[in-house]
Amino acid sequence: MTGTAQTAAAAASAPGGPPGRWEADARARAARLEALLGDPYEPANPHGLRALFDADGRRTPPPDTEALLDEEGWAAEFVPAAYGGRLTRADLLARALRPVFRRDVALGFGHGITSMFATGAVWAAGDERLRHEVAALLLGGGRATILHHELAHANAILRDEFTARPAPGGGHRLYGRKDVVINASRADAHVVYARTDAARGPRSHSVFLLDPARAAPGTMRHLPRVETSGMRGALFSGLEFEGRAVPGDTLVGGLGDGVALALRTFQVNRSVICGVVTAAADTVLHSAVRAATTGRAGPVARRWHKPLTGVFADLLACDAMATVALRALGLLPGRAHVCAAAVKYVVPDLLREDLEELAAVLGGRGYDLDSPEYGALDKLVRDLPVAGLGHAGTASCQAVIVPQLRTLAETAWFAEEEPPPELFRPGAELPALDFRTLGIAGGGDFMAASLAGSAARLAAGRAVGGQIGALAELAEAFVAELRALRETCRTLPPYGSRGLADPAVCVLSDRYSLLVGAAAVLGVWEGQDGTDPFLADPAWAVLALSRLGARLGVPVPDLPDGCVRQVLDELIRRYRSGLGCDLDATVLAQ
Amino acid sequence: MDPLTDTGTVDTDRISEPVHVGGPDGPWQRVREDMRARGNATVFTTWGEWLGTAVTDPGLRPLLGRDWQRYRRTTDPLIRYRFVTSRLVTKFTAAAALDTRATDLNLAYKIGGRPYLRGLDQVDISLTHTDDLIAVGVSRNGRIGVDAEPAGRPMSFDLLHGHMCSPAERAELERMPPEQRSAALLRLWTLKEAYTKAIGQGLRLGFTEFGFGGGGETGLLTPGGRPASRGEWAFGTHRVLGRYLLSVACHDAGLDTSRDTAAGSMLDEGLMSAVAGLLDAGPPDGPAPGPGT
Repeated sequence: MTGTAQTAAAAASAPGGPPGRWEADARARAARLEALLGDPYEPANPHGLRALFDADGRRTPPPDTEALLDEEGWAAEFVPAAYGGRLTRADLLARALRPVFRRDVALGFGHGITSMFATGAVWAAGDERLRHEVAALLLGGGRATILHHELAHANAILRDEFTARPAPGGGHRLYGRKDVVINASRADAHVVYARTDAARGPRSHSVFLLDPARAAPGTMRHLPRVETSGMRGALFSGLEFEGRAVPGDTLVGGLGDGVALALRTFQVNRSVICGVVTAAADTVLHSAVRAATTGRAGPVARRWHKPLTGVFADLLACDAMATVALRALGLLPGRAHVCAAAVKYVVPDLLREDLEELAAVLGGRGYDLDSPEYGALDKLVRDLPVAGLGHAGTASCQAVIVPQLRTLAETAWFAEEEPPPELFRPGAELPALDFRTLGIAGGGDFMAASLAGSAARLAAGRAVGGQIGALAELAEAFVAELRALRETCRTLPPYGSRGLADPAVCVLSDRYSLLVGAAAVLGVWEGQDGTDPFLADPAWAVLALSRLGARLGVPVPDLPDGCVRQVLDELIRRYRSGLGCDLDATVLAQ
Repeated sequence: MDPLTDTGTVDTDRISEPVHVGGPDGPWQRVREDMRARGNATVFTTWGEWLGTAVTDPGLRPLLGRDWQRYRRTTDPLIRYRFVTSRLVTKFTAAAALDTRATDLNLAYKIGGRPYLRGLDQVDISLTHTDDLIAVGVSRNGRIGVDAEPAGRPMSFDLLHGHMCSPAERAELERMPPEQRSAALLRLWTLKEAYTKAIGQGLRLGFTEFGFGGGGETGLLTPGGRPASRGEWAFGTHRVLGRYLLSVACHDAGLDTSRDTAAGSMLDEGLMSAVAGLLDAGPPDGPAPGPGT
């Protein structure tokens, strides 16, 4: 056999099939699930929005749709292909999950990705036995949940934590209580981030994989259901441990690896969340377009052009940011963390504002809470904070960015090479997501390099004027902001001094995160091969970057003629043809 | 019931009573207590009380930050001083809630014009002024909106109801003795302003598209008069300084946020130290592959 043939044979027999097929397969699975879930607006559809809103109102997971997902073996999406599942690339995972999230964020969390968030630590650092155990559990229809450790400014979900104390004769015993844990009552595995060292610092916690069925009587207690105002159908309840035995072979990674494992796996969770909640906001945008067009013979009223096109541009920008972060996890796993943290910092906040803009378009219809046509706004307004974890979620992203700013300013910005173009190019083959290779802080910043590269390539366009000129001007404004940020960040105190608790540093991490968002938009626009003429055209990117620029407070040029019109026409076209407002223009069930 | 009694239309369990703060030196204790107890606080003052600080503080430029240029460009002295005072009151109120210095805060504006504190999303803020009154709301539970009007401002039912009343509100006002309608309309106006400011939309969201009940009923209603939310919103209308009506709208996103909103404690030490510890580790190749590779 020749070398090439050997490679081809190896690729064909690779878990999950040949890498060239991964994308097509994931898209086919997503299309199949979309079709199975059916028309969201059909009142008789058991998986339609009426049924999902009804389950939300009853504070229960939707039984028919959970059963459908089980039949489809949805949990296999979270198990790496090498262990018998379907997980290959993180960006494809998000795409495969979107049909569910487009309809119900709480179902997506409650039925699905919580298991992935929990088991990430096992894929990152568990030994072969633990990996096979978890794969068998999930592929057999089981669930895992994550028992987070407490983070600064914790809300109910992140509050309180467990402590594992060394037990006589080896192993540990687990103590403590947490009141708000998703799926605590029905999980078949608990992934516990338990404190194993009283000292605060990077080695304070360890991860254990525990089987609730094996807790000795009296050492584990289920606490009552907690009713939340967001994700009302998700099952949150508490757990209390009183000396529960933690055998040595349940340790995931090494003793004291907990914080590092949280950081390494959070970047996957953060990127996936951004990728899927953006799809949920798409449903609200569709309902707003419906409100703005229903019963009107003429064109959409002029006052709605700005919010509708602005939100559409934001959703494309959020998809660009999430997609780049997700692709980086496979392509640049040692360096993707700061990008993922910045993206997670930006996306939920952007979407929250977008929902408010859409509330104005929806007007009184937005209060039609149970209607499949218009009720998605109210539900997502309630579900989104739970998905993004609010301030505690953003603060944990800032905690990743802030200690890196000085180093990035000194060594990376305007010095580092640009990332491989595959990061942005649709359809490019990428390596599989391998949790074991995910890093925490590499000291590099490929997004800043990409921003500077995009601006340099666009610079000649400034003289051209029009949309390309505006795009070039915007790119230069973001680069100027990066230069200003570099000057400020170079003067930051080194880590370890009290200086980094200064609120002014949080201001810098906010500015930095918006620059990463702008870099993603520019990179994705540049990566277009012309297959989609709308995405290849600068209008959406100009609009998205103008809005990011306004948020950042940098000089923003006037929108060129035709920009809003082009984006509006595409939005109406997609709405009328049943296409999603994402980069893929996904075909929606109708 | 008189819809304008001081506590008749306030959800007192969820909305803190507005507190008068006479200058940068406070008193700020009530703001901290209200933030802890109910998660929101509202401060009111008159711009004359803060004027001394506004015109003499040598640190005014850093205090105003990116608002400095706007301040310098404004030529009308009344508008100028009111502008600078309202920004100072906002920053000092936020600083009290965040246990930090006002100069450390970056007051920025979202696309629709809503003010926020860049990088510090543990609190939302809102600002209003009318005549010589300035009021600032701050909340850790979710969005907050405040709006004030002179309490005696006449509101013509005939002229205004088509612009600002939902069908249910109109029906209720029509049942009311005509002499009470102006006051009831003014209350509705401030509530509607407070709510639409809370969601960052202002008048972009039509005032006839949602409503409020009269009397003690302060929940958000659909145009037809049914409940329009599931209890996430709380509202209050207060009379302050004896001559202004001040309405507050507070959203609770339901996360049961931390009572600790201090800017200095928000970055998790464990996460920060784990990241910082790796920065000296060398080139960005990622960690060594784990078992099984």
